[in-house]
Amino acid sequence: MSESKLRSRTQGVSYTLLFMVALSLVCAIILSILASALKEPQEMAKELDRSKQMLIAARILNPYVYFQLQDQEGRFVPAKATRDGILEPSHEKHTPNQQEILDVYRNRIQAFLVNDRGDLLTFEQAGMNEQKYVQDFRKSGYYREPLKLIYKIFSNSRGDNRFVEGYVIPVNGMGLWDAIYGYLAVQPDGNIVIGISWYDQKETPGLGANIAEAEWQSQFPGKRLFQQSPNGETNFNTAPLGIIVVKGKVKEVLDSTPKALSAVDGMAGATLTGNGVTNAYQDVLTAYRPFLVRLHQEFAKITK
Amino acid sequence: MTASKPPLSTFLTSQLWSGNQVLIAVLGICSALGVTNRLSVAITMGLSVCFVTAFSSFFVSLLRKITPDSVRMITQLAIISVFVIIIDQFLQAYFFSISKVLSVFVGLIITNCIVMGRTEGMAKNVEPLPAFLDGLGAGMGYAIVLFIVAFIRELFGFGQLFGYQIIPLSWYATSVHPDGYDNFVLMVSPPAAFFIIGGLIYLSKKLQKADS
Repeated sequence: MSESKLRSRTQGVSYTLLFMVALSLVCAIILSILASALKEPQEMAKELDRSKQMLIAARILNPYVYFQLQDQEGRFVPAKATRDGILEPSHEKHTPNQQEILDVYRNRIQAFLVNDRGDLLTFEQAGMNEQKYVQDFRKSGYYREPLKLIYKIFSNSRGDNRFVEGYVIPVNGMGLWDAIYGYLAVQPDGNIVIGISWYDQKETPGLGANIAEAEWQSQFPGKRLFQQSPNGETNFNTAPLGIIVVKGKVKEVLDSTPKALSAVDGMAGATLTGNGVTNAYQDVLTAYRPFLVRLHQEFAKITK
Repeated sequence: MTASKPPLSTFLTSQLWSGNQVLIAVLGICSALGVTNRLSVAITMGLSVCFVTAFSSFFVSLLRKITPDSVRMITQLAIISVFVIIIDQFLQAYFFSISKVLSVFVGLIITNCIVMGRTEGMAKNVEPLPAFLDGLGAGMGYAIVLFIVAFIRELFGFGQLFGYQIIPLSWYATSVHPDGYDNFVLMVSPPAAFFIIGGLIYLSKKLQKADS
């Protein structure tokens, strides 16, 4: 009896409306509480991932997540972080925790701006808020701004003994399916690549998504951003800039021509992702040309 | 009536094999193709679906007497969405690298036919506890199939399991030794899962026929 009473009561229009409003309200409250509770860890996870990827591009962090240092012969050896973010050689591959990664990041990486003449400015000099700037132009690309973002990589030493080991350029581009975001680290001569990484991409898993795999990225160290002309010389003011992802193997396509120094093997079945990567490097690096040329000139002065 | 009532546990166990949602009902195929090229990803997805089916079945059953008939599907969808968003947000906060790979597939659990199939087909007709077990079983059945498919795909597509190299690197073809082993490239792409699941469906039909 009460069963049928309940049935008839739940059939009316006003009851249905009331039920849906109540249900929506409950769901909305649950979700907004959840979203605000998890907002902080989510932002931290993203921030940590970007810091990690930048350290990987700068070859301070190995892609298999342990710190590394270059010994006197230039080989990379595993390292461990001390409390103030300084690395010390270690025998085992120790996986760092979040705090260690952030400490090392703060100690080794610092953001600057470059203008169209290639001058370096601090955020203070430019009168800008670093956090806001980094946040605002992440999607649209820093290379499109009059003041472009660049990160200095400092050496693994304390205070005033630090010198600049290289620079990290944020790279934006378009892959096959969606935008791709990454970093490219270059040596102080503005030409030789230290390493690269991609921190956000939605390419085809197993094919284009290999751009985020350590194995494919390991081709980049030592490549040249400025393409050499066939006679082996580089005219820094006019040379095409970028790293070309060829279709197939560099060895077969370009053999040992000077162009091969600025090219990497493509991924089978991911030609369009490869083209996207090529275009991304070309567009971004061309915008940074004045700065890279300036680096090269200053470097040439010191080494002469 | 009470004499023929099956024990509670059959709600769970029937979903694992004889009523497996992927192999028998052929539901949830889309995500099974998409997320099975790595074991770690497949397991995360399997656990997420377990969580969502179990809890949405539970709550749909809890509300079954006061849910108006005309809006029951919308109600189910709203409940399912809540749990899917919980899982998605949680993964983004604490398992960032896996959430990067799963990306859209977690959100698509909402439209996974298994979840709605269980809430509409079972949960709205039974008590909350059996509904919970039924949902959990359906999710586990799905997770098991995902695990088998991902095992085969990762082993032959990458030569690895859980990201560790299983097939020795020395077997691989190099320029010096060109007729060595090569990874099976098809395994990496979603169509491979189509063939594997097809094979599994055939096998399960054969075995279940033999059983009865």
